[in-house]
Amino acid sequence: MKRAPRLVAQVALYVPLMALLGYLSTRPQFSVIAPDEALLRLSFIHAAHRAHACRSRSAAELAKLPPNMRAPLDCPRARVPLRVELQLDDRVVLEREVTAAGLRHDGEATVYFRTAVPAGRHLIAVRMGDRPGGGFNYTRTATLDLAAGSALVIDFDPAKGGFVFRS
Amino acid sequence: MLKRLHLAGQWVFLHVEGLFNLAFGEKLNPLYYLGPIAYYLMWVVVASGLYLYAFFKTGVQGAHASVEYLTVQQWYLGGVMRSLHRYGADAVALTMLLHLTRHWCFDRYRGFRWFSWVSGLALLWLVYAAGINGYMLPWDRLSQFVVVATAEWFDRLPMFGGELVRNFIFPENVNDRLFSLLTFVHIGVSLAVLAVLWVHTQRVPQAKTLPPRPIAVTLTIALLALSLAKPAVSQGEANLAAAVTTIGFDWFYLPVYALLYRWGPGEVWGLVGGLTLVLALLPWLPPRRRKGPAEGYHMLVRPDNRIVAVREGETILDAGLREGIAFPYECRNGGCGQCKATLAYGTVDYGAYQPDMLTAQERGAGKLLLCSATPLGDLEIDYQPTAVPGGIRARVWTATVDALDLLAPDVMRVMLRLEGGERIEFYPGQYLNVLLEDGEKRSFSFATAPHVNDRIELHIRRIPGGRFTTQLFERTKVGDRLRFEGPLGSFFLREDSDKPIIFVAGSTGFAPVKSMLEYAFHRGLARRMILYWGVRRPEDLYLALLPRQWAREHANFSFVPVLSDPRPEDHWQERTGLVHDAILADFPDLSGYQVYACGSVEMVEATHPAFTAHGLRQDDCFSDAFRLAARVRSHAPELVRLGGTA
Ligand code: HEM
Ligand code: FES
Repeated sequence: MKRAPRLVAQVALYVPLMALLGYLSTRPQFSVIAPDEALLRLSFIHAAHRAHACRSRSAAELAKLPPNMRAPLDCPRARVPLRVELQLDDRVVLEREVTAAGLRHDGEATVYFRTAVPAGRHLIAVRMGDRPGGGFNYTRTATLDLAAGSALVIDFDPAKGGFVFRS
Repeated sequence: MLKRLHLAGQWVFLHVEGLFNLAFGEKLNPLYYLGPIAYYLMWVVVASGLYLYAFFKTGVQGAHASVEYLTVQQWYLGGVMRSLHRYGADAVALTMLLHLTRHWCFDRYRGFRWFSWVSGLALLWLVYAAGINGYMLPWDRLSQFVVVATAEWFDRLPMFGGELVRNFIFPENVNDRLFSLLTFVHIGVSLAVLAVLWVHTQRVPQAKTLPPRPIAVTLTIALLALSLAKPAVSQGEANLAAAVTTIGFDWFYLPVYALLYRWGPGEVWGLVGGLTLVLALLPWLPPRRRKGPAEGYHMLVRPDNRIVAVREGETILDAGLREGIAFPYECRNGGCGQCKATLAYGTVDYGAYQPDMLTAQERGAGKLLLCSATPLGDLEIDYQPTAVPGGIRARVWTATVDALDLLAPDVMRVMLRLEGGERIEFYPGQYLNVLLEDGEKRSFSFATAPHVNDRIELHIRRIPGGRFTTQLFERTKVGDRLRFEGPLGSFFLREDSDKPIIFVAGSTGFAPVKSMLEYAFHRGLARRMILYWGVRRPEDLYLALLPRQWAREHANFSFVPVLSDPRPEDHWQERTGLVHDAILADFPDLSGYQVYACGSVEMVEATHPAFTAHGLRQDDCFSDAFRLAARVRSHAPELVRLGGTA
């Protein structure tokens, strides 16, 4: 090929290539949540109660233990699984039992949940049970107006009395 | 199935490359330099990144604003740098993926290539880590998405225990330390990319790590144009209190993150981990299409006359380059025809290449492309060196016969004079190929030293029944014209050693020795030199007076003729027997010597093992017949034509 046509051909190949590079670097756009939705997240870390109450060791039991381990109380370390429920209007969107971390399940339980919610007024109820025997001993219910593109985070802070809604 | 995918991929690559060849020409086709281009772009990214870093404020308050400053106020430089950084990185990802795919399609990832493949995989991870990490830095809406999604993704791994994400969803947890950390990781991983790149190309013989300059220049201009036409911009400052909704998305780096929001983190780990594992094992997975024994094959390379091992699956070009043979090449991808050579013996898999670069006729005439072909047995390859040591180019010359002297009943001295008074430059020991009318060639060593360059002397022995020599002895006259190509060969006198030299000449092997010795005397080399000339009868020492005279004139030279077959009527008083026996009798320990052997294969084959057994080092043994003839399973007589066979 002659020089000039060749140059044209090179440009003809480079231009689409660069256009592709420029295009795919931002387009097509990605919707993390739809424009008419809000983001609802539940995130907390909490240690549940121990599964079994402490028990006094009898004198006979204590005698069997090596002297350095003769603690009067026997406290099994495992914690109960945390029960969590999240209700959105009349729908339960999360129902989960979270086992405590650690080999002996004696650590904290970590909860993270994310969902998109249509913008508007919603009844949001969150419940958590951290004791043996079932049931929920922490609950919080609120009716909130969630704007499109807003973010609601539900945290748990015992110092503030339980669940905290932050937006 | 896999094979079909490979072939389909090859088809696509070859056709697209063919299209690009029309525009760029074979030698500057970017598609032949995908690896080197990715490498070059990495440097563009590093350089532009350094500039950005100089202005970047690693803090929650400063990050977004400092990038905005570069983009808006300093658009003409900072903005361009930012865009170069982004588009360069995108182009790295693109070319890297194409490079990977090409190696896969052409089945160039097995065997010894596993090392490049696996280190390439490490690069893939690192490049993605650096790129994704980069999107966290400008602290815009995309950064917010990428940071949170990364935390969500990594929280799936047991070691993070699900707590990572809490650092990124509460504004009070995002602090300046986080930005220092992200920046540190970004720079660290990029440096790791450069380090692993070095490892990656370590084992590729003479790997090109930069594309030819015109490609680099064009590419840079194109990226600059793109940077000006569509500058990279931020997408509004991050706001952890608000949700990220619809964002511009880099599909070169972030597709996995899109998937993360369609599937869950566990599934994405499964996909990415599984894919990595499969890719990592690919070099060892079936179908193993081993083409021969695991230890590979050997090839005799002419004009170097060297035997080189070719590893299983290795191209002839790579094997040669690995051994320092000056094979010509350019694209290494079957697209430029630069590496065309002749297959003189053996069978090969021709590989995939542009059909225009090797036509069916050429293939029929024994041509192949070194960069595409892999051996299917031991081979003999004839190539045209474009650069011999010292850079003297071989070319075709025309000469006239100046004199013909019968030096012995079967040895003719032919003096040639170059037409047009031209002069030829060569190294003592090199040879030329006389071009016959039917396209065949006959090789003869220069018998004159290079400083005598207005005429060329050849010693040609008559081969009974040989076409060319019969014609020469019976019909050629002074004044006849003749075409030859030269100078050729890498067998020449090495001046980088002080060791004494033992020259072993068999029959017309005296010709290159004469050239080397005359050159040595001319240069005044003080090394000790001994010539052993082995022939059958006294009359075969066709120029015996010459070395005898040298021995009288030069104290550092001695001459030992050795006859293998003297008759009583010859009254031969000097040495008899085989030439190498005579040498070993005189020099039981050869470890301090260099040996230059010139003669038939049989002679070299007989002498070489005997010499090495007596301490001669491989590096000190030079021969114009190839060194290990026995390795090539072929019929010897046609193989060696140096020093004068038909
Ligand atoms: C930043 C990314 C990368 C760069 C800059 C790069 C660069 C290079 C260069 C310069 C070469 C030598 C010349 C060539 O064959 O093109 C090469 C060879 C090679 N690369 Fe890469 N590479 C990258 C990533 C990868 C990846 C992801 C893979 C595959 C997993 C890979 C697999 C290979 C293989 C198999 C070879 C050939 C080795 C041989 O033929 O002996 N590379 N690379
Ligand atoms: S080097 Fe270009 S075709 Fe072989």
